[in-house]
Amino acid sequence: MATSKDESSEKAQPQPVMVVAIDESDHSAYALRWTLDHFFTAGNDSVFKLVLVHARPSATSSVGLAGPGAAEVLPIVDSDLRKIAARVADSAKQLCIKKSVNNVIVEVVEGDPRNVLCDTVDKYHASILVVGSHGYGAIKRAVLGSVSDYCAHHAHCSVMIVKKPKTKH
Amino acid sequence: MEELGGGVDQVRGGAEERRMKMKVMVAIDESDGSFYALNWALDNIFNVMTSTSTIGTSTHENEGMVFLVHVEPIFHNYVYPIGPSGAAFYPASVVVDSVKKGQQERSAALLSRALQICKDKQIKAESVILNGDPREMICQAAEQMQVDLLIMGSRGLGKLQRAFLGSVSDYCAHHAKAPILIVKPPDEHHKKHS
Repeated sequence: MATSKDESSEKAQPQPVMVVAIDESDHSAYALRWTLDHFFTAGNDSVFKLVLVHARPSATSSVGLAGPGAAEVLPIVDSDLRKIAARVADSAKQLCIKKSVNNVIVEVVEGDPRNVLCDTVDKYHASILVVGSHGYGAIKRAVLGSVSDYCAHHAHCSVMIVKKPKTKH
Repeated sequence: MEELGGGVDQVRGGAEERRMKMKVMVAIDESDGSFYALNWALDNIFNVMTSTSTIGTSTHENEGMVFLVHVEPIFHNYVYPIGPSGAAFYPASVVVDSVKKGQQERSAALLSRALQICKDKQIKAESVILNGDPREMICQAAEQMQVDLLIMGSRGLGKLQRAFLGSVSDYCAHHAKAPILIVKPPDEHHKKHS
């Protein structure tokens, strides 16, 4: 089903969709700001429809194998994660409003970021996926895994990786 | 302290004048993927700028600027002897020259095709031909010209192929300082790469 390529070529279509991935890190905030500055100028009616998606880790994956005490901890961890996710989504929305981009869809989905992002792209038939990058080296990337890497290879649309410039001391 | 030129300045620039003068670099080679990337980028990204600047007179139709960069791998001036004589360790200069000329003509043809595409969409473009390893040269060029965005096509290789053949877009995604946009080719067969 190769619908994602048709979206951008036909002019009669509704707006092409741009999905931006956000999390708690500075890097994704920078990526969002960069994207807003470069693609959503003049604020009134821009070409792209903006969708922000935050992948919230699920409580079970964060706690891991905690042993007998897990049952009590889980609800606390879960509500905590929910609060963090809400805060992230809120600050992202504030950022958009500040740059006078209204009409933004913000989604908070539970699960592994890689899958969440690729699924969101499919759901909205996005033409671009924007991700920040932690700027890991090769070893860190092999150990920690890289969401931007995974998305660049597996998303069904073009992927833009925005890196925060490093300030070396 | 490394600065990212255009990107950082725009972020700090305040909200008054937000006409985006985005400097974009597009990597071109013989593959269809890169031309698809060029077309896709011009359609989707520069549309943004034309739509915001159609107020009254359109003297500045497009504030953006596209740099087309094509990297020619270095031609090695030696050949391995096949025959029993083993005499020809270096090809005659005539051969070297004609190969070099062929390469240059091919690069020029590619870039003129790309420039024509940009001209048709009324976007200012300049072209650069570089020699060397594509990965490094593209990253270096993007840094030197302080582009806002680097655009590359992707051959759509699977993981295994990418490990063996190498991927220029992969390398650039990790090493380029500028934001990078990787344009995927349209899925014709929708094969599943493992």
